[in-house]
Amino acid sequence: MFEIKPIFNALCRSKVGAVLLFLQIALTTAIVSNAAFMINDNLSYLREDTGFTQDEIFSFTVMTFGKDRDLRQQTEIDEDMIRNIPGVINATMSQAVPLSGGGSSSSVRLKPLPEESRQARLNYYYAGEHALETLGVKLIEGRNFRPEEVIISSNYHEKGPSTVIVSKAMAESMFDDEPALGKSIYLAGRALEIIGIVDVMESAWPRAQDSGTTGIVPFINAQNYQYFWVRTERGERASVMNIIEEKMLQAYDKRVVINIEGLDDTKEAYDATDVLMMRMLMVLVVILVLVTALGIFGLTQFNISKRTKQIGTRRALGARKSAIVRYFLVENAMICTVGLVIGSIAAIFLGRVLMQAYSIDALELEYVIATAAFIFMMSLLAVIVPATRAANISPSIATRTI
Amino acid sequence: MLKMQNISKVYQTDSVQTHALRDFSLEVKEGEFIAVTGPSGSGKTTFLNMAGILEPFTSGHYSLDGIDVGGLSDNQRADLRNQKIGFIFQGFNLIPDLSLFENVEVPLRYRGVPAKERKKRIEECLEQVGLASRAKHLPQQLSGGQQQRVAIARALAGKPRFLLADEPTGNLDTLMARQVMELLEEINRNGATIVMVTHDPELARRAPRNIQVVDGQLADFTLYQGVPEASQPVVDTRIKAEV
Ligand SMILES: Nc1ncnc2c1ncn2[C@@H]1O[C@H](COP(=O)(O)OP(=O)(O)O)[C@@H](O)[C@H]1O
Ligand SMILES: [Mg+2]
Repeated sequence: MFEIKPIFNALCRSKVGAVLLFLQIALTTAIVSNAAFMINDNLSYLREDTGFTQDEIFSFTVMTFGKDRDLRQQTEIDEDMIRNIPGVINATMSQAVPLSGGGSSSSVRLKPLPEESRQARLNYYYAGEHALETLGVKLIEGRNFRPEEVIISSNYHEKGPSTVIVSKAMAESMFDDEPALGKSIYLAGRALEIIGIVDVMESAWPRAQDSGTTGIVPFINAQNYQYFWVRTERGERASVMNIIEEKMLQAYDKRVVINIEGLDDTKEAYDATDVLMMRMLMVLVVILVLVTALGIFGLTQFNISKRTKQIGTRRALGARKSAIVRYFLVENAMICTVGLVIGSIAAIFLGRVLMQAYSIDALELEYVIATAAFIFMMSLLAVIVPATRAANISPSIATRTI
Repeated sequence: MLKMQNISKVYQTDSVQTHALRDFSLEVKEGEFIAVTGPSGSGKTTFLNMAGILEPFTSGHYSLDGIDVGGLSDNQRADLRNQKIGFIFQGFNLIPDLSLFENVEVPLRYRGVPAKERKKRIEECLEQVGLASRAKHLPQQLSGGQQQRVAIARALAGKPRFLLADEPTGNLDTLMARQVMELLEEINRNGATIVMVTHDPELARRAPRNIQVVDGQLADFTLYQGVPEASQPVVDTRIKAEV
């Protein structure tokens, strides 16, 4: 029915075109499956929930040059002033802006140095009891900071905090499934008791592998370069952003207010390079697939023009049109199968190399299988048009002498 | 066996119309061996294409073995070719990438003959043309005469009742041509009806019946019955002048 044996034998006897094609298919499989995996891997972090109500939050930077004020006092005045602007839900000062690419991170331990102990990376924000509401993160265990737990100081070691609120991911990376609430972790030599756990809370660098292991440390150290986070009612953000500079300067004018930016825009700017890389990979994938499809199309076309007489003869000998179409489909399927097998092996190998060279995740086998299936389907599509044309070759070609 | 009534074939290329066959009528009886001669371009091949259902005709009636060919679908035409007709071409038309065995197998596969039966039949046919020992060879490893014998084996494979040959000896030297002719005569003796187009008057003379095509029409024909070798065939070459 499918003439598998004679087609295979015929292929083996005239293999140059077939070899070139299956090499191309193999290469495409190897590259496309890896690219698809990388694209998807990237997409998954881009789509990941940050825990923040991004479109209600904005941040801005304050640089103070005036020397005639106590910055700690001024910060409290500023925060109160902002919270009283109509449309504002809450606001807080911090040392970093979430999702911006710049922040603080340190390894924390279960026991102080020099004792041996488990360690994990904590990406932290310095902020007080207003932080949870300002960010919109969800407290799932424990409680928020009490005002007296929020330490206003300029020396972390001498007069620093002794509590912390961590993300669920942080709690798990330190204590696995054991309850973390009430336990202490050591940050820069200070024991911080975990008094609350929030669900999802991204760090300042979402691309990093452990960007979800975060915490809020209740330590306020006002400096002349500081950030404010503001959360507004839905739809009120733009108007608050418009007046914030004026309001801040009214409160104290020996400073500048810059980088007033919605948190969603902050994330977009941070993601931009990845989005660009992803788009380039996608273009590469599309080009490769198109070139391969064209290659298959071209080779089939070439084979048909070379075999016009043969096709006419087959028709004369009783081949139905469907048998001619089937011939080319089966032939292509054979070339493709060899190419896909070699390509899949190459894909896994390439995945290993990329994993080692760029410390990305290991290529998942599903991507290789899906790519192979996709290329197989596409090759059938690329063959069916020329094959149908071949089937329409008149059987009378067989009696033509030239 | 074959009955053509007023068959016409017009080829339309760009602005040129070629009347390759006009009002062509012919009846061929079961078991006949007919040689078709005529000047080049007179329409011999066109006639063979019509007879072999390779192309549709423009007008007229044609029935093969009692089947009206005119109303058949493309698939039915393919099946009819496969079951009733064996083709032998001037250029042999063997498939270069297939072994002799696989070449002879082609029509049998299209007929859906089971593998075991196919093998037996292919071996028989190759045996009949004297090439059984070379079943695994490729066509290009054979001489022209041998290739044409393989093509004959392929034509015979499906045991067709009707064999059509378009200048089967046109590409062969005299000796090989004679061998092929002897093979065809043997096949005819075994019961197949043969229509053979040829340029070679000597070979034409060996056929019991000759017809001549001139300018797309049947010029005349003489039917010799009985003993072909003994009688001296006379080819009537009067041309119905009609230009
Ligand atoms: N496919 C075709 N398209 C156009 N003209 C054709 C075609 N086949 C044959 N002809 C024309 O029909 C006439 C008869 O050709 P043909 O049957 O091949 O002659 P013969 O076989 O006797 O040499 C010629 O004039 C030829 O040019
Ligand atoms: Mg001819």
